[in-house]
Amino acid sequence: MQENILKDDALEEKGERARMAAFIGAIAVEDLVKSTLGPKGMDKILQSSGRGHSITVTNDGATILKSLHVDNPAAKVLVDISKVQDDEVGDGTTSVVVLAGELMREAEKLIAQKIHPMTIIAGYRMAVDCARSALEKKVRNNKDDSEKFRNDLVNIAMTCLSSKILSQDKEYFANLAVDAVLRLKGSGNLEAIQIIKKCGGSLKDSFLDEGFILDKKIGVGQPKRIENAKVLVANTAMDTDKIKIYGARVRVDAISKVADIEAAEKAKMKEKVEKIKAHGINCFVNRQLIYNFPEELFAEAGIMAVEHADFDGIERLALVTGGDITSTFDNPESVKLGHCKLIEEILIGEDRLIHFSGVELGQACTIVLRGASAHLLDEAERSLHDALCVLAATVKDSRVLWGGGWPEMLMARQVDELARKTPGKKSLAIESFSAALRAIPTIICDNAGLDSANLVSQLRAAHFNEDSTAGVDVITGTVGDMEALGIYEAFRVKQAILQSATEAAEMILRVDEIIKCAPRQREERMGH
Amino acid sequence: MPGAQVVPGGGSGKTEKYVDTKRKDDVRLANIAAGKAVADAVRTSLGPRGMDKMLSTANGDVIITNDGATILNKMEVLQPAAKMLVELSKSQDIVAGDGTTTVVVIAGALLKQCQDLLAMGVHPTVISDALHKAQGKAIEVLTAMAVPVELSDRESLIKSASTSLNSKVVSQYSSLLAPLAVDAVLNVIDPARPDSVDLRDVKVLKKLGGTVDDTEMIKGLVFDHKASHTAGGPTRIENAKIGLIQFQISPPKTDIEQNVIVSDYTQMDRILKEERNYILGMIKKIRATGCNVLLVQKSILRDAVTDLSLHYLAKAKILVVRDVEREDIEFISKTLNCLPIANIEHFRAEKLGQADLVEEVQVGSGSIVKVTGIKNMGRTTTILVRGSNALVLDEAERSLHDALCVVRCLVSKRFLIAGGGAPEIEVSRQLGAWAKTLHGMESYCVRGFAEAMEIVPYTLAENAGLNPISIVTELRNRHANGEVNTGINIRKGQITNILEENVIQPLLVSTSAISLAAECVRMILKIDDIVAVR
Repeated sequence: MQENILKDDALEEKGERARMAAFIGAIAVEDLVKSTLGPKGMDKILQSSGRGHSITVTNDGATILKSLHVDNPAAKVLVDISKVQDDEVGDGTTSVVVLAGELMREAEKLIAQKIHPMTIIAGYRMAVDCARSALEKKVRNNKDDSEKFRNDLVNIAMTCLSSKILSQDKEYFANLAVDAVLRLKGSGNLEAIQIIKKCGGSLKDSFLDEGFILDKKIGVGQPKRIENAKVLVANTAMDTDKIKIYGARVRVDAISKVADIEAAEKAKMKEKVEKIKAHGINCFVNRQLIYNFPEELFAEAGIMAVEHADFDGIERLALVTGGDITSTFDNPESVKLGHCKLIEEILIGEDRLIHFSGVELGQACTIVLRGASAHLLDEAERSLHDALCVLAATVKDSRVLWGGGWPEMLMARQVDELARKTPGKKSLAIESFSAALRAIPTIICDNAGLDSANLVSQLRAAHFNEDSTAGVDVITGTVGDMEALGIYEAFRVKQAILQSATEAAEMILRVDEIIKCAPRQREERMGH
Repeated sequence: MPGAQVVPGGGSGKTEKYVDTKRKDDVRLANIAAGKAVADAVRTSLGPRGMDKMLSTANGDVIITNDGATILNKMEVLQPAAKMLVELSKSQDIVAGDGTTTVVVIAGALLKQCQDLLAMGVHPTVISDALHKAQGKAIEVLTAMAVPVELSDRESLIKSASTSLNSKVVSQYSSLLAPLAVDAVLNVIDPARPDSVDLRDVKVLKKLGGTVDDTEMIKGLVFDHKASHTAGGPTRIENAKIGLIQFQISPPKTDIEQNVIVSDYTQMDRILKEERNYILGMIKKIRATGCNVLLVQKSILRDAVTDLSLHYLAKAKILVVRDVEREDIEFISKTLNCLPIANIEHFRAEKLGQADLVEEVQVGSGSIVKVTGIKNMGRTTTILVRGSNALVLDEAERSLHDALCVVRCLVSKRFLIAGGGAPEIEVSRQLGAWAKTLHGMESYCVRGFAEAMEIVPYTLAENAGLNPISIVTELRNRHANGEVNTGINIRKGQITNILEENVIQPLLVSTSAISLAAECVRMILKIDDIVAVR
């Protein structure tokens, strides 16, 4: 009779069963997202089970995965690596899951052959080092030639966008994204790029605007256009400055005294406005409401006052205009004001927005996205965000590779060679690694409805030649020259995919027992 | 089902054929079916002889309309793809304001063609790319057909507004409403920004009673409630000086909690007196500036006005309009050219607006306050819509909105195009010819697009009770002979040169309908799975 070590409701799975659960979970997640891979990948509708049943249309791996209900631990690991990939480099969120899934699929076969998981892991480790060094040998770096570098960037952006909703206008958006990223001058601070979505018009009507756009309205009776603006960004209560002590109250015995207190309150507010005016500003942006009374005072002083700017908005505004976010106004000397050349009201579609141009932080810019519907705009934003992330990563690390399955085939070839040289069972694992790498071009072909077996074998033959630039040209459905087609990828993205996928696979392989803790008594809502 | 059984042809890697798993096909076909169902639901309301729908909402309200955006908005669809069509109609409403039915009908027809193409085994992305190209070409064709229009050409503007109105319930009033819409929009164009119109500067006010005939445009301001009658306050003021106030004429109230402690009855009298003096003091200050009309913003924290203050205001012969919403302040201040006043201390004569006449008028069952003859009036317009019952009134408002949008389209993109299905047939013909010059699957897809465009004249004819097949074929024939402006003349039930019949519409409505519909269909095509998420 076995003694109960765990609580009653806790589940325990051991050895074979645990591993089986891990394989199933990982492969299921891979299967879910793999149809979105590549330029002919498909989209998914995410239908929320929450209120309103809102829907999202996307082919961004990270977006799909992070909104899933996942209960399998291995699947959760894959969801996590996709999230990490999104945070680190922004793109390749699907690829990383697919590669990890394929590695698991191969590992499953090896396990079935009674090879110890640790041997597989050792083999995978050797293979990943070999693959990485193979890539590093082949990278090109155009950092010093700004003309060529720009061309690289545009090509990378186009490759990234070609699998997204923006594929039709990829050239337009690639240039737009490159312009935006180059404005950052290598700082890679994507915070300075603001994306505003406005329904209406078509995607081609989207544009890049230098400066900053705030989606708010200017107060009544205030100037709608200010040159050489001094901006004070604040987060302060401009409704009432009441005493915030619970239970505080005033006791009086005459109406006139109430009136006095009211007047005192007004005077306090007026004093506050005076203090703000003492900063010598002509534009005041507040995160909180500005009530009628201070609004009128500002209008009289000819100061543009913008109320209720959201938190994101004022943080960005403070960043780009070079000011501080202020909440006390006693020391005007020590407050850093924001500056910009011109503030004016502009009209995009049907909406009036406030446009700050000639801002302190010259890097700042705004991309205004236009499109038919909210779904389209959301997806366009996600796509553009991916492109911007990749570009920012490339600006930091300017090493560039060809795309279209070229890196995978190159790595596979080197890994194959390594397998031949390695004695022992590890070589089997190394061989499996190369098979997993080759699965990526295979899936890209399959998604495009092409004959993958034929194409990938042709590609492998082409890669027998040391300096081949062959990859899959999905548009014509043939093996093509990636250099001529301008299909580029960033080294950083590939490297991140390779390493995090292998690490994830390794982590899952090490598992030989899954313990599910007993659920807490007061049942939480599922999905956490 | 078709589609699933297609085998990859030829064995070469070059095929564009597409084989997919059963489930993915099912999702896509289900999406297409749902999209088509939505399109079918609104199809019968297209055109001047289109029928209306009666919508009964969950809380028992009834709406009668043939405005596509409104119907779809109230339908509460659940299927994700169907939802996208609803969104599509909304987008068209934002971009062009009119053609909200057309856009959904076109999308439905495109989906139908896509279904056939998918059944042939064409890869969805190939269809999607081809649709994009075809849409670009279609817009070229439309632009080539368009006739430039000047804003000074009032006749043409009115004609296009009446084309939009002719398909509505209020069509018999189009001769009244169309010029009204044109004047209203032209009135608010800012000379500094001649290309854009902010329709928020046109205020549409509905008032039950009378008939649509009584609808009028008012150069001035109208408030949808009566002036205060307490204590016999004035209801008509000539040479008005108008103050727009955001403070309250009521006993003082502090932001922190306060109690007035009364310990004996003499104090009660004193407090009452003080209250009176306090209010009287405020009113004296107001009166001193010569102000005789007061617009009071609604306040939630305390009473904006009390019976007592109204009484004193009436004594001071000041007309009071209360409960002005905060959102309206900007519009009012722009129209009256006055500044809102947030504190009694700031109440000065220079902040007041001036008008020749402010008066309360009986309209139907209620009354309104009209401000006319405003000095230095801002660029705003108010339209007072009248109708004999709430349903007609609402529909008249929606129709007027469409007409205003049509005029706005013409301001931002000054091209006109023929109506009555003529542009669609022409696009269909030219794309059909173009498809023949293309290779591969693309050719099929473009031809599909061309065929889908025929849905508009087909439906127009069908809804008018004509024989759609004979009409569409004759149209095709005429267009092939180079008569690009022939369309269906619904009134006469035959085919004529539609430009001569004054059935014209803005180019923007047609182009955005086609591009938005194509974009939406492309999005639906690319979906291969529906995933339930949290």
